[in-house]
Amino acid sequence: MLEARLSQANLFKKVVDAIKDLVQDCNFDCNDSGINLQAMDNSHVALVSMSLKTDAFTSFRCDRNIALGINLGSLTKVLRAAGNDDVLSLKAEDAPDVVNIVFESSSQDRISEYDIKLMDIDQEHLGIPETDYAAQVTMPAAEFQRICRDLSALSESVAIEVSKDGVKFTCTGDIGSGSVQLRSNTNVENPKESIEIEMTEPVALTFSLKYLVNFCKASGLSDKVKLKLSAEVPLLVEYPLSEGTNSFLQFYLAPKIGDEE
Amino acid sequence: MARTRSKPKASTAKEPTPEPPQSTAKPLPPSTNNPPKVFVLPNNTSPESRIVTLDNPANGAPSRYYFCPSKGFFEFTRIAAPKKDCKSWLITPDRASKDISQDGRANGESAAQEADTAEGLGGGYLTNKADMFLATPIDLLFLILPALAPKAAAKQGDKQYFLSLEDHLDALASLSRQWKVLFSQYPSLKDKVERRMAAVCDTVTAGDETMYRVSSEKLTRVLTRKAERMCAQGLPPSMEERFIKTALEVPIMNVLRSDTFTAAPTPADTPAITDTQTTTTSTLTRTESEISTTTTVASQTTAATSFTSTTDDAAPHSALSTPPEIPHLLRLRTSLTYLTTSYLPPTLRTPITSAPDPDFTPLDTHLAALAKLRAEALALRSISDNISRKRGHDEDEGAAMEREEKKRRKEEEEKKKKSESRAVKQLKKVDTSGMRKLSSFFVKKPVAK
Repeated sequence: MLEARLSQANLFKKVVDAIKDLVQDCNFDCNDSGINLQAMDNSHVALVSMSLKTDAFTSFRCDRNIALGINLGSLTKVLRAAGNDDVLSLKAEDAPDVVNIVFESSSQDRISEYDIKLMDIDQEHLGIPETDYAAQVTMPAAEFQRICRDLSALSESVAIEVSKDGVKFTCTGDIGSGSVQLRSNTNVENPKESIEIEMTEPVALTFSLKYLVNFCKASGLSDKVKLKLSAEVPLLVEYPLSEGTNSFLQFYLAPKIGDEE
Repeated sequence: MARTRSKPKASTAKEPTPEPPQSTAKPLPPSTNNPPKVFVLPNNTSPESRIVTLDNPANGAPSRYYFCPSKGFFEFTRIAAPKKDCKSWLITPDRASKDISQDGRANGESAAQEADTAEGLGGGYLTNKADMFLATPIDLLFLILPALAPKAAAKQGDKQYFLSLEDHLDALASLSRQWKVLFSQYPSLKDKVERRMAAVCDTVTAGDETMYRVSSEKLTRVLTRKAERMCAQGLPPSMEERFIKTALEVPIMNVLRSDTFTAAPTPADTPAITDTQTTTTSTLTRTESEISTTTTVASQTTAATSFTSTTDDAAPHSALSTPPEIPHLLRLRTSLTYLTTSYLPPTLRTPITSAPDPDFTPLDTHLAALAKLRAEALALRSISDNISRKRGHDEDEGAAMEREEKKRRKEEEEKKKKSESRAVKQLKKVDTSGMRKLSSFFVKKPVAK
């Protein structure tokens, strides 16, 4: 039996919006610690990992581990029916055929209820080890989104270089080249605008911009984004969810290695 | 042929037939890895009957035959329910015999034991396969043919030597050890072999010894006779349907031209043949046709495939009516092909099938004409956009279903593709060369449940 209540349907809506273009069907693994999701894109070069811990919910009950295999397209359609400030409840039996979703609008005394048929999805779970990244950049999510969008107009891929001078995004395309450099700064008036760079050694890696742009769809979920890089391991793009809890939405992307052909 | 309801109780067989475990109901006995099999054996065979392993004449694979010194050889045909139907046998002790034993002599341990085993179904045995092995007479001739026509000689194509009976028997014994044993135990078998051999061999007398050499003309004659007997009473319905009726179907042209042949054929020509065959053979005929039905059921693939090839070229049909002798000829040829493919060593098949004796030319011309007509009809059909006729009618249901399945899958895929968002499609176009799969960075976790 699963019963989870989110005070803001908006959060769930945005999470699903952010990943629905990366994966189409995936399992929401529910257990007593919360709702988790891990899925890879079709080419298996990117991975999305979401974790909504129990304290992100206003109430949460899950007696048994349940995997809810849901088509994200269908879920999006249903979530579209939710108002941003609605209270969202997820319910499912122990061996469910459907997941029941209820939106309650407190202001209008309106309750809408939907059932989504579940699917059996074979999914391989990857064990992601704790990694000490060589560099970690925290920046405003909107800034990262803008950089990715701007550079993607020029090229397919971007080189991200973290050095003691700051972080530099460089790309070269048919029409020319471009780069954006950010220095570490602390904005006292508006801490959301701060850029923090922690680095143990310089890192330079190249990534597919199309994928990064795709990840940036999660920008609405959080003010900040953390980029974590180490040589020859996937880039981790992390958006913290609902401030103060340990919930997060993470994207991993394999670096481009030796693609100068 | 008699039907007995027995497992091979009396048979001295080495066929694995352990008696059912003698437990009474409560604890389920472990299943034997050598479960009893159900046999239908002929009645009144001599007590010395046994099951022997001899080479199958058609493919040389060792097969089991039931041998009775007085009645000759029987071949086993396995009759099985289709795989999907889960059926099984419940084998229980014979109630009648139990009653007798209890009424007759109620004393002694035999009765006690009997009562013990036979109580309710406790003494019974449940096999998980509902196979039944049916013993049907087989002509000794088929079994000795491989020895009469060794491969080497047939390959050269020129005449083989005349050999004495003993030499032939030696050849036979060299094929399978069990022949040797049979010959030494039952000398009468030699006479039987000689008699059957004489039927298909040219003979030469040298001194007081008769020498034999297999003659393909004689063999053809014998086989043709068998084939005629086989179709005298009509082929089994499944064969009739598959090889005769469909083969002779006249294609329906645009203007309806009804299939005229159905009315004419069978009853008219069969009596004539039965006359020549006379009564002595009638029982044999029946068993042979039985054999053929059962083998078709048991899906003996070799026979089935070879048939299709013959009927494929036989498939077509002439324009209007089928001449009355055609169905019989086709039946005869079908029977003959059946006999040669299932009972003759491959080396002997060609001379038989190409033998001039039963004249199949009218049949061939008729079938050729039919083929032409069919091709025309097909061509016409493909021109017209009549959807219901788009498929050739000879396609079987399996193919149709397969196509359906394919279509369904394709539609599903298409639907899925359509429902993909623009972003998903764009991601698909991303050049991922130089990017390793994530599974090469992270270890696969066993599915935690």
